Amino acid sequence: MQRNMTKPFKLGRAASALLLASALGVSACSDATSSKETVEIQFWNPFTGDTAAVVDDIVEKYNASQTNISVKSLSNQDPQKQLTAISGGNAPDLVITYWNNVGPWSEAGAVQNLEALVQSSDFDASRIIPAALDRMKVDGEIHGFPISMSMANKLFYNKKAFADAGLAAAPETLEQMFEYAKRLTKKDDAGNITQIGFIPDYPWIDNVFWPIIFGGSWDDGNGKLTANQKANVDSIAYQALYYQEFGVDGINKFKSGMGQMNTPQDPIITGDLAMMIGWENWYNDKRGENGEIGVAPFPYPEARPELKQSGMVSPVAMFIPAKSKHQEEAWEFMQYLLSEEVQIEYAIRNKTIPVLLGALDNPELTENESTASLKEFFESAKSPNLNGFPNSIYINEYLQALNEETEKAIKGQISAQEAMDAVVAKMQPKADAAKK
Amino acid sequence: MTGNAIGIRKRERKRLLVGLCFISPWLIGLILFQLYPILSSFYYSMTNFNLFQPPEWVGFGNYAEMVRDEKVWLSLYNTLFMAVFGLFPHLAFALAIALLLNKNVRGQSVYRTIYFLPTLVPTVAATLLWMWLLNAQYGLINELLGRIGLPQPVWLLDPLWTKPSLIMMGFWGTGTTTIMYLAALQEVPKLYYEAAEIDGANAWHKFRHITLPAISPMTLFHVIMGLIGALQLFTQGYVFTEGNGQAMGGPENSLLFFAIYLYQTAFSFLKMGYASAMAWLLFLLVFLLTVVVFKTSARWVYYGGER
Repeated sequence: MQRNMTKPFKLGRAASALLLASALGVSACSDATSSKETVEIQFWNPFTGDTAAVVDDIVEKYNASQTNISVKSLSNQDPQKQLTAISGGNAPDLVITYWNNVGPWSEAGAVQNLEALVQSSDFDASRIIPAALDRMKVDGEIHGFPISMSMANKLFYNKKAFADAGLAAAPETLEQMFEYAKRLTKKDDAGNITQIGFIPDYPWIDNVFWPIIFGGSWDDGNGKLTANQKANVDSIAYQALYYQEFGVDGINKFKSGMGQMNTPQDPIITGDLAMMIGWENWYNDKRGENGEIGVAPFPYPEARPELKQSGMVSPVAMFIPAKSKHQEEAWEFMQYLLSEEVQIEYAIRNKTIPVLLGALDNPELTENESTASLKEFFESAKSPNLNGFPNSIYINEYLQALNEETEKAIKGQISAQEAMDAVVAKMQPKADAAKK
Repeated sequence: MTGNAIGIRKRERKRLLVGLCFISPWLIGLILFQLYPILSSFYYSMTNFNLFQPPEWVGFGNYAEMVRDEKVWLSLYNTLFMAVFGLFPHLAFALAIALLLNKNVRGQSVYRTIYFLPTLVPTVAATLLWMWLLNAQYGLINELLGRIGLPQPVWLLDPLWTKPSLIMMGFWGTGTTTIMYLAALQEVPKLYYEAAEIDGANAWHKFRHITLPAISPMTLFHVIMGLIGALQLFTQGYVFTEGNGQAMGGPENSLLFFAIYLYQTAFSFLKMGYASAMAWLLFLLVFLLTVVVFKTSARWVYYGGER
């Protein structure tokens, strides 16, 4: 009985072993073939919806174009997920993130310094818009590349509000803008603001944009913080003028009643707000000749005409994590993303500004109907007056400190100089510690 | 006798093992996902740690730094403000509603359901709804205040009013507390009220000397849970401050709660060691307040059948 039972069992076991062996053999063979030729890399981005779909399409095209590298794209990976994966030792090979993560993450050792990879290849980093590339540098060395450029250097204005106030064109200087703002502000019988010309901290306190408009900076490149220099202080004093003119409570009350951005009650569309700081990806369908929103270069200080076409650069960054297992392949793919062809496709489909200087003049982009509203931005992306916040390990704390003190100053609780002195007093020790 | 004892011990040991096997998934979870993180966070609180590089031992340096950190004090003030001025009015309100819902009136179950409904709305959605109600220019609350001639604050942008706005919003979500109070009220023996009535007690006497003591264990539970909740306040402040375009912390950091500052420190500034120390301070604070509440509870909490 036992013998009868063991026989089929042995036969079954032999058959299974044979099947398993052959299966392993087949997979081993296929592994051997594929591992020699194809390296799979993980590519994470924080995008969702249409933007993620554009990235997926570009990845698909890349995968179809060659057999050495296979890119696996994963969208909706926000910075917290990225941090968790990288710190947990399970880093993806290439990551898209907000540019201000590059500084702290690099200093923490999570981001690969790309200098060696750039030098060992034919890649010419000088083709990248300098202000965008500067945001990717930590201690002067490249730690990432921008995949697209985002920029605020225009004034958006409601054409009807201007016409109603008898204003034919946008203001050219900041002083003129202040006068326009007064003309464009209306109040009801009870003294409540019903339309306002300009709110300097709408939609947020911008402690990077304003100092740039005044030619300011935040450090001297050698670790000395310069937030309290005259240009920065002037930029805050200028914003405070609006609060002095229209009243803190008046502006706050009006702000709280304004509609939300990107809704039918959006104040720049309804005309409740006559002017605002303009980014390239805002109100694309409302700009242009027949749109409700006019676009003009952002005004400059009257006494400093050399600051015309100033603006803030805030690119979207991509970097290779230090623990990535396939850094060369990730770099290979990153170069593909930085090729003119891909940059143009990305810019057209996502309505962004390409990061290659050469692409800014490419007729495929400049003569494309769908990017007509971006033309002015393509042109001004070449401006030498573009700047951004310097990357560092303490960048987020620095921005936070600027935010807190600027808020007090524009509401008139302290002077602009006091505010910026307080920021430097607080942050300089952190900058000194980071330098050591 | 001995043999029996050994036999029993063996059987108990076996039962213990079987029991442990049954609860092993929970035990493993407790050790891996609770005990280990808790102990390691204590270790990290003694270090400078940025997640990526090896932690650098600083002893009690982070704790000393917290004493000097103005934002720690500010966030503690904001948090304790909410705990004191938020919790007790909410409890009083929930109890008042529970007393009303305990009345034997027609359609009682409908009232109870209606009152509980807002509790089902997720916190984020409720916060967004309240931001609309609190709109300084067009919000319903200011509209009503204006009609009776009262001042109309800029609720969400004036640092004086941001915390009261959140407290006001908290009344909306007291459904669970009310339902639990209602359950406690229904457990109070009617006999006591009847005896008190015979002695000539009025409604206030009955409430003060029968109802309040009888439901005091439930009040103790709410006070402790409410304190823990208030000290960990995060979501409402986060959504409020995001909504008005400010960095987390709200106008002039008036909504910078301890948990929000902890979050900033950890995930924005990458100071995991310092954030761990902050987490331990929060734990100590919760622990101390709980102990104080428990110690004082002997004076005001009455358990059935006890002296």
